[in-house]
Amino acid sequence: MAKTFLIDTSRCTACRGCQIACKEWNELPANDTRQWGSHQNPPDLNAYNYKLVRFNERRDGDTVRWNFFPDQCRHCIDPPCKHEADAYVEGAVIQDPETGAVLFTEKTRQLSEEACEAVREACPYNIPRRHPVTGALVKCTMCHERITRGMLPACVKACPTGAMNFGEREEMLALAEKRLAAVKAEFPNAMLADPDSVSVIYLLTDDPFNYHQNAVAGVTRDLDRQQFLARLTAPLRRSARAAMQG
Amino acid sequence: MEVNRRQFIKVTGAGVACLSLTQLGVDLTPVQAYTSSLKIEGAKEVFSICPFCSVSCHIISHVKDGKLVSTEGDPDYPINEGALCAKGASMLSMTRNEHRLTKPLYRAPGSTQWEEKSWQWTLDQIADRVKKVRDKDLILKNDKGQAVNRLESMFFIGTSHADNEECAIAHQLARSLGIVHLDHQART
Repeated sequence: MAKTFLIDTSRCTACRGCQIACKEWNELPANDTRQWGSHQNPPDLNAYNYKLVRFNERRDGDTVRWNFFPDQCRHCIDPPCKHEADAYVEGAVIQDPETGAVLFTEKTRQLSEEACEAVREACPYNIPRRHPVTGALVKCTMCHERITRGMLPACVKACPTGAMNFGEREEMLALAEKRLAAVKAEFPNAMLADPDSVSVIYLLTDDPFNYHQNAVAGVTRDLDRQQFLARLTAPLRRSARAAMQG
Repeated sequence: MEVNRRQFIKVTGAGVACLSLTQLGVDLTPVQAYTSSLKIEGAKEVFSICPFCSVSCHIISHVKDGKLVSTEGDPDYPINEGALCAKGASMLSMTRNEHRLTKPLYRAPGSTQWEEKSWQWTLDQIADRVKKVRDKDLILKNDKGQAVNRLESMFFIGTSHADNEECAIAHQLARSLGIVHLDHQART
């Protein structure tokens, strides 16, 4: 019954229908933005944008390539943000056992600014944002009220190209493998981003860094994957230690 | 209500699934508290067309107590199949936005001020000016003396909010006035 997204970036045209559909469904206000030389607007995720299509324009030999990355919460299967938040306020972050959705509740308002920062740090994908007015931590909700009534998430419903897909985990994993095999004919380096640990699986046509520095689990160029994975499991190990000591 | 076998299996299947979660000691209460209502529950569905480009995607507008509460693509329409681009997806904001014009505004030549005008006044002005310009500028014959009935000083622009039949009428109107500069908003 766990739900999963497949975001097939080979099909994304960066129309940003998903980004706006998300904003409209959640009735989030506009951001005051400036032209900053990119179509990526607003420049980053914020309390009023749970979904953002990232644009990365780059040179590949003599060709200019443009990678589009519809960024959002990955709804990790074992969410580090929840482990971190549990240490401060029980119930601030919950996970729906039925759908696998990781949900930030009203209780996130009780998190101090430092605690919010710790939860944000714990996220391997740099997703959570603190609401400037309410102090709540916010992000993609998997359109929980829609999916529990058999509707598609707003972003998936709006996608005109088939880049955004949503369904039962098994189904999406099968679709991911099928699409990966097809896409590899044109892009031999195509890959799935962290398919075993997240509910929002990206199909990337090449190096994740050509999309976004957090396209795959929090590895930045300075921090190697090993170190990162250690950080990812740190809260778990912390609680295991505590349990043993207790 | 008669329950057939398939429905029965579905119902008991759901029951079993719920039971197993509870038996595992999973407390669903916080999740239920998180998601209590759907904003379009019980809303009336009104069909509309996206006004932005010539694809004219169909949109379902959810109306509750006479107020628009949500819009999304119409999955039954074969052209957009429920999908919308960023412009079509922004229909709710477009109707609610404080910058939206709800009355005709008129700025007199040389003026820096916009004045609110009635539709009647506006339509009369358009009719008067169209007639004045046409009477003045209509070209009946070209250099070779051939009848052309051409009006080159006027531009006519259509809208993707118009359906095929409305476009045909608008086109006939423009052609009958002699307008040759005729285009569509979605191409601009």
